[in-house]
Amino acid sequence: MDTVVTDTVGVLTTASSLFIVATGLTLVFGALRLINIAHGSFYMYGAFLATTLVAHVPHVGFWVALVVSPLVVAVMGVVVEVAVLRRLYRREHLTQLLATFALLLIFADLALRLWGKDVRGIDPPAVVSSNFRVAGAVVPTYDMVIVGVAGVVGLGLWVLLARTRLGWRIRAVVDDPEVLSASGTNVPLLLTGVFALGALLAGLSGVVIAPQQAVQPGMDAQIIVAAFIVAVIGGLGSIVGAAVGSLVIGIVQTLGAVWAPSWASTFMYALMIIVLAVRPWGLFGTPER
Amino acid sequence: MMKKRPVLTIASAAVLATTLSACGAAGGSTSGGGGGTVTVGESTSLSGSIANLGQTGLQGLQMAISDINAKGGLLGKKVKVVSADDNITPATGASNARSMITKDHAVALFGPVASSIASAEEQVAAQYKIPIFFHTSNDVSLMTKTFTPYAFQNVPNTMMEPRAVADYLAQKVGSKQITIATFAPDYSFGHDTVDGFLQALKDLHVHFKLVKQEFPPLGASNISSYLSALVSAHPQYVFNAQYGGDLVAFTKQASSYGFFKDTKVIAMYAYAPLAALGDTAPVGAIGFDRAPFWAIDTPAMKTFVKDYQAKYGKYPTEWAILAYASAQEWAYGVTKSGSFDAAKVSKALPGATVPSIIGPMTIRACDHQAEVPEYVGTISSSGDSSYGGMHLYDKPVFVAPFDKIALTCSEATAQQP
Repeated sequence: MDTVVTDTVGVLTTASSLFIVATGLTLVFGALRLINIAHGSFYMYGAFLATTLVAHVPHVGFWVALVVSPLVVAVMGVVVEVAVLRRLYRREHLTQLLATFALLLIFADLALRLWGKDVRGIDPPAVVSSNFRVAGAVVPTYDMVIVGVAGVVGLGLWVLLARTRLGWRIRAVVDDPEVLSASGTNVPLLLTGVFALGALLAGLSGVVIAPQQAVQPGMDAQIIVAAFIVAVIGGLGSIVGAAVGSLVIGIVQTLGAVWAPSWASTFMYALMIIVLAVRPWGLFGTPER
Repeated sequence: MMKKRPVLTIASAAVLATTLSACGAAGGSTSGGGGGTVTVGESTSLSGSIANLGQTGLQGLQMAISDINAKGGLLGKKVKVVSADDNITPATGASNARSMITKDHAVALFGPVASSIASAEEQVAAQYKIPIFFHTSNDVSLMTKTFTPYAFQNVPNTMMEPRAVADYLAQKVGSKQITIATFAPDYSFGHDTVDGFLQALKDLHVHFKLVKQEFPPLGASNISSYLSALVSAHPQYVFNAQYGGDLVAFTKQASSYGFFKDTKVIAMYAYAPLAALGDTAPVGAIGFDRAPFWAIDTPAMKTFVKDYQAKYGKYPTEWAILAYASAQEWAYGVTKSGSFDAAKVSKALPGATVPSIIGPMTIRACDHQAEVPEYVGTISSSGDSSYGGMHLYDKPVFVAPFDKIALTCSEATAQQP
């Protein structure tokens, strides 16, 4: 019984941390049709900023970081969108990809200069740093925080996209920017806003995941691969897809690690290949016209 | 307009992103051999998840060379260091090494972090007949299967390190039956080290039952699933071959499960991860370290630590220390042979005992393996006030002697080409 609980927690934690990262990526693709490799940089900067804030603000550093880091990263997103990406929306995916890949490399070099190459880390805040028992199994409290944040992010995005006029515009902008513009929406501003929101989510994921990770150079490229696999399996552009995609990966990885440890990481890639072969637009995506 | 198959492009780009990170160029160039200077080169990993290992190793080398220069240089010449980033890619490492030899006229090379890259550079060095000193990569096959007369290894290798730990564990558990799980990065180093450890336990007649083996990817951003599988297996001991940032992430997540209460984790808890963990260091876990500055009590080490702190504002890692010792080894070879000539230097070193910051270091003639020990200990429950409250190992630290943990010369040479 305790094994079932432990594995379930493993699945949920893995899925939740993947979801928080992948959701911003898929949101940006959904509205801007832009493949943003630099999403990994935003994630890393969120985490690095958090280590700086925690080191300089005693006691409440983590909570300050939880608010401040995502906002700073969102501002970074605005600058990137206005300065670079705005020029690329009508270009091929490959061009966008190379441009955002270049941004990832530039941000990685900049991060080396700002924060150096040491391994850093932050601790979870004291109130959520311990663990509790469920049916004899130990459950880390902070794992539940990650699951909670994923829930809040997912719910918040669903309300935004499905229940507000702004969300309706975000969904409409891909299909018909001209009509939307004619009906009085400032389309460039809307796009900047969506991109900033994507960056904000990446920054948030960086802070939330940091207490479980080593914060160090290279975490940008590592996360982007995992996030892409989730987004591709779920269907790029679909928030529900990101949720299902991360859950699927969480299950595959956790059960893989239990039953066939030496194959666990292979399953994830195999699954992506199968999805690409059978349904190239992903489980919940729509084929591009 | 490209409309079809964006997903495939993305997938391939995602792979690209991991393999291709920042293309580094050789830092610095200009002449080496002639005039008043001579050049040595180090191509290592200066970006990505193992950048800390590469960077501090390079710092150790640079400090050794600047110390040599401060004492008047070698044979009347000043020594200069050129460096380059290998992007954790063997091909880049090999081309860096080649360019250092041909363009910068480097007379000696110092090795990279990853063994796969070390192996590529070892062959380049042999082609050009330039000595190469490995101070971080520790694959035993560098000195056995792919041995060349120009390669030197100054670090406990993948055979020695797990044997040292097994020795320590055997002393602790005696004839008790124990359960063990293993956790290691999924590439040759991880698998070799785990296999070496289990084999050593068998050789020492430790009664153990293997309950779980996990191999998460190197630098995995998320190990929750691997960890929960490990927790479910309830092992008494876990041998973990992760290092650096991966080990820090493992420790944080395992701590949140309260894992360290009932399970003894055995891992490379060297200075850098212990410093990153600070107060959350896993008390009671078993750590091993290739060259802990705080346990090597020589005047030269004290001076080095002081200088290193003054220059970089922190304590030296084992990578920095062994890189420093490697530079000392090369300098000794140059002085002894009275020449920068690679062939003469490479002949002067085997069998020699080099004075170094880790003490006198003998270079075994049969495989050019430096006769260095491995340090093992239990992480102390109290912080050490002389080192900013860091949790180090209980004293005395167990020092596994070279002779007990290394391959014998006949075992080593039997595998050489």
